[in-house]
Amino acid sequence: MEIICSRLINNNALVKIDGEIDESNAQQLKNKLDEIIDSSDFIDIILDLKNLTFMDSTGIGVLLGRYKKSRIKNINIKIKNPSKHVDFIFNTCGVYSIMEKI
Amino acid sequence: MYKNDFSMKIKSKIENDKFIRSTIAAFITPLNPTLEEIQDIKTAVSEAVTNCVVHAYNSENQYITISVQVLDKVLKISIKDEGVGIENVNKAREPFFTTKSEEERSGMGFTLMESFMDKIEVYSMINKGTEVVMTKKIAGD
Repeated sequence: MEIICSRLINNNALVKIDGEIDESNAQQLKNKLDEIIDSSDFIDIILDLKNLTFMDSTGIGVLLGRYKKSRIKNINIKIKNPSKHVDFIFNTCGVYSIMEKI
Repeated sequence: MYKNDFSMKIKSKIENDKFIRSTIAAFITPLNPTLEEIQDIKTAVSEAVTNCVVHAYNSENQYITISVQVLDKVLKISIKDEGVGIENVNKAREPFFTTKSEEERSGMGFTLMESFMDKIEVYSMINKGTEVVMTKKIAGD
């Protein structure tokens, strides 16, 4: 898994998550997203999942945890470019009820 | 009628999750599964293997037994541990149920297995272990 964060001109963060998310690297994802939430004045954090090739429910747990944390700082986490498979998982797990798909 | 099977016993280490799901995906190549079917199977397998590592065992020095059978177009995968067992299987299969909410677990593992496979059977005995048997008919390309 590779995570690249860049600042957009509107002060949103664009976070590209490439590769696979499972239990073996969930902690790495959690730490990186926490770092982005904690260290910044971002308005929204946009997760670009175009090159995310695999995810299981471990990833959902990480995202739900980051949602709680981001709300404290009034940051919205948004989802962009999920694959059909990841989209199905997000729908099944109710992710879109708390994170907007853009 | 096409028939094939394999089994393996592998250490309950989380880094083996990817190896297990990729191996099963490679094994079913002769059935010409669609990319979507491969993703479904890999996710369901990953959920079951993660359960063994995270919930069944407290140490990495234990083993998971994987058995895979293909009979015609039907794939049957058994993932078995000899860990702590599940106290209430019906409860564990409910969406969002988790015994480890402090670890930010979604509790959606069994729900996703059920969504991606045709049938899930769970056999569990306290302190003896758990076996998850998943079946899926591969429609293919």
